[in-house]
Amino acid sequence: MEIRPILSALMRSKVSMILIGLQVALTLAIVCNALFIISERLERMHRPSGMNETDTFWFVSTGFGQGFDVRGTMQADLALLRSLPGVADATTVISVPMSEGGWSTGISLQPNQNNSTAETAMYMVDAHGVSTYGAKLVAGRDFRAEEVTFNTMDDPPKAATVIVTRALAERLFPDGDALGKQVYYNNEGPTSTIVGIVERLQTPWTSADFVDNSTFVPAYLPYATSSRYLVRAEPGRRDEVMGAVEEKLLAANPSRIIGKMKTIAQVRAEGYAGDRAMAIILGAVIFALLAITALGIVGMASFWVAQRTRQIGTRRALGATRGDILRYFQTENFIITTLGLVAGGILTYGLSLWLMRSYQVPRLPWHYVPVGFLCLWALGQLAVLGPALRASRVPPAVATRTV
Amino acid sequence: MLTMSHLQKVYRTHLIETSALRDFSIHVREGEFVAVTGPSGSGKTTFLNIAGLLEEFTGGEYQLDGIDVHGLDDNARSRLRNEKIGFIFQGFNLIPDLNLFDNVDVPLRYRGYNAAERKRRIEEVLGRVGLASRMKHYPSELSGGQQQRVAIARALAGTPRLLLADEPTGNLDSLMARGVLELLEEINTQGTTIVMVTHDPELAARAHRNVHVIDGQVTDFDGEPSLRESPREAGIGERESPRAEAAPLHS
Repeated sequence: MEIRPILSALMRSKVSMILIGLQVALTLAIVCNALFIISERLERMHRPSGMNETDTFWFVSTGFGQGFDVRGTMQADLALLRSLPGVADATTVISVPMSEGGWSTGISLQPNQNNSTAETAMYMVDAHGVSTYGAKLVAGRDFRAEEVTFNTMDDPPKAATVIVTRALAERLFPDGDALGKQVYYNNEGPTSTIVGIVERLQTPWTSADFVDNSTFVPAYLPYATSSRYLVRAEPGRRDEVMGAVEEKLLAANPSRIIGKMKTIAQVRAEGYAGDRAMAIILGAVIFALLAITALGIVGMASFWVAQRTRQIGTRRALGATRGDILRYFQTENFIITTLGLVAGGILTYGLSLWLMRSYQVPRLPWHYVPVGFLCLWALGQLAVLGPALRASRVPPAVATRTV
Repeated sequence: MLTMSHLQKVYRTHLIETSALRDFSIHVREGEFVAVTGPSGSGKTTFLNIAGLLEEFTGGEYQLDGIDVHGLDDNARSRLRNEKIGFIFQGFNLIPDLNLFDNVDVPLRYRGYNAAERKRRIEEVLGRVGLASRMKHYPSELSGGQQQRVAIARALAGTPRLLLADEPTGNLDSLMARGVLELLEEINTQGTTIVMVTHDPELAARAHRNVHVIDGQVTDFDGEPSLRESPREAGIGERESPRAEAAPLHS
C-alpha cells in the first residue's frame, strides 16, 4: 500500500484535501444525527397505541336548541349505537390516543404531596370503555355500571375507582402490585382505588414524556352540549357502520350536529403528520448531503485525474499496472475520507450533545458512528471509482508526449 | 537486447490512416549506446514508445531481451517495463508532490521490493547521481540538470537492462546537458544498454552508433559494432567515438 507517499503528496495540496475532508466530516455528523432522529420518529410512529385501531372510529355530537338534554341523549345514543348491526361496542369518551387533545393530571401517593408521583392522561369512559378501546385488561376487573358517574366540566369526576395502564402502575408502585392501591388524582382527595390494569394505552399526546401513562375514569363527561363517542365495529365492518351511524343518530334526535367521523387510523396519520414530515425532510437532507458529498468526490477526483494525466502516464511507464493506478486513487480517497471521518466522528458526538441539551433529543447510540464510517467509506469508494477507472485507462505513452 | 524486424505502426482514425513506422528493423546489442535521430515527425518517439512497451505495434516482430512481446497483455507489459526498462524523459516527468526519495521509490514499489531493499537502492542510486543529501527535497527545489539526474536515478533504481532516453537533454542548457550526457555515458560503461532518441547531432555523435529515421523507416545507420562476448569487458567506450572521457558524476 502506498499510504505514506500518498499522504505526503496530499499534504502538499492541503486545501483540496481539507475541503473534501470537511465535507465528509459534516456529512457524517449531520447524517448520523439526522438518521437517529428519523429512527426515533419512525419508532414513535410505529409505537402501538394499545387500542384497536383498525375497527374503531370516533365523532362528536353537538346538540343545539333550548334545553338540549345532553345526559339523556348520551344514554340514548349509546343504547342506539350498541344496537346497530356491525357494532361491537361503543362508549362515551373525551379523547383517544394520538388525537393531541385530552385531559391530563398528576397523581400523588400521599395527600397534599408537593410534587406528583406521575403524570397521566385521563380517559373518561363508561363501563364499556375498556372493551370499546380494545385495551387488554391484564389484572383486576372492568368498571361496573354503577361506578360510572355523570359529571360536567364544572363538576369533574371524583374517580373513586380507576383502571390504569401497566406502565403507570409500575411507575406508581415499582415494588409491588398496584391493584387495590389508593392514589390521589386530586391533592386533597378523595382517594381513587386502582381496580384494574390494562396492558397499554397511549396518551393523546404523541410526544408526551409520559406517553404510556393513562387512566380510565368511569364517568360521562360532556362538554356543554357536546359529547364524543368511540365506536368499535365488528372486524371488517367499520366503514359500513360509519355510514349508518350518522343517519341513525340524526333520525333519533335531529336537534344536533354530527361532526366528521374519524377512524383511529386517520387519527394516527394526523397525530404523526409532523413526525412523518420531519422524517421526509431529514431524509431529503441526508440524500442531498450524500449526493453532494459524492459529487464533490467525483468532481475533485476527476479534476485530479485530468491534472495528473502526465503523472499517471509516467507511473504506467515506470511499471504501474492499470490495477495499481486504480488502487492509487482509491487509496487516496480512502485516506481523505478517513481523515474526514475522524474529524466527523468528533463532530457527530458534539452535534448529538448539542441536540441533547437544546432539544431533548436522546443520546446518539454509539453504533451510528461506525456504521456511518462504513457507509461513507463505501460512498467515497463508489464515487471515486469512475474517475479512478478513467485514470487507469490513461495510456503509458502519455509519458512521452510533449504537449 | 532489442530486436525489431519489419515493424509496422499504423495510427488509424475514422478518416485517415497514418503509418508512423514502416518496415522498421533495428537490432541493439547488449551494452550498446545507440542514438536514434531524425527530424520531427519521423517516428523516433513512436519507435521509443514501442521499444519501451508504451504502445503496441501493428505488424512485424519485436523481441526484448529474448522475449517476444507481441500479444503480451497489459499487465505483462507493465511488469516487463518495470523489470527490464528504465525511462528518461525530456521533461523529466518527476512527480512534483513527492520528494526525491519517493520519486525514485515509485518503480520500486511496483516491483514489489520490501521497504529495506527499496531504501538501499534509493540511497545507492541517489548517491550515484550526487543527490544523496537532497532526498527530502522536492523536484521544484532542484535545477533542471538535478531533476534529470533524479529521473536517471529513478530509471536506474530497478537495475534495468535497457535505458530508453527521450531527448534527455532537450530541456537543459548546454552545461547541464553535458553533465547528464556524461552520466549516461558512465552508466553505459557500467553495462547498461542505452537507446537515446534525439534530434541533436552533437549528442548523437557521442553514442556508439547512430540510427537515422525518416518517415518511419531506418534510412541510415552505422554498422553494428563487433562486440566481444561481454560488452562490459569489451568496453564499448573504447571504440572510436567522439565521446569524451568519462567525467566525474557530480559535475
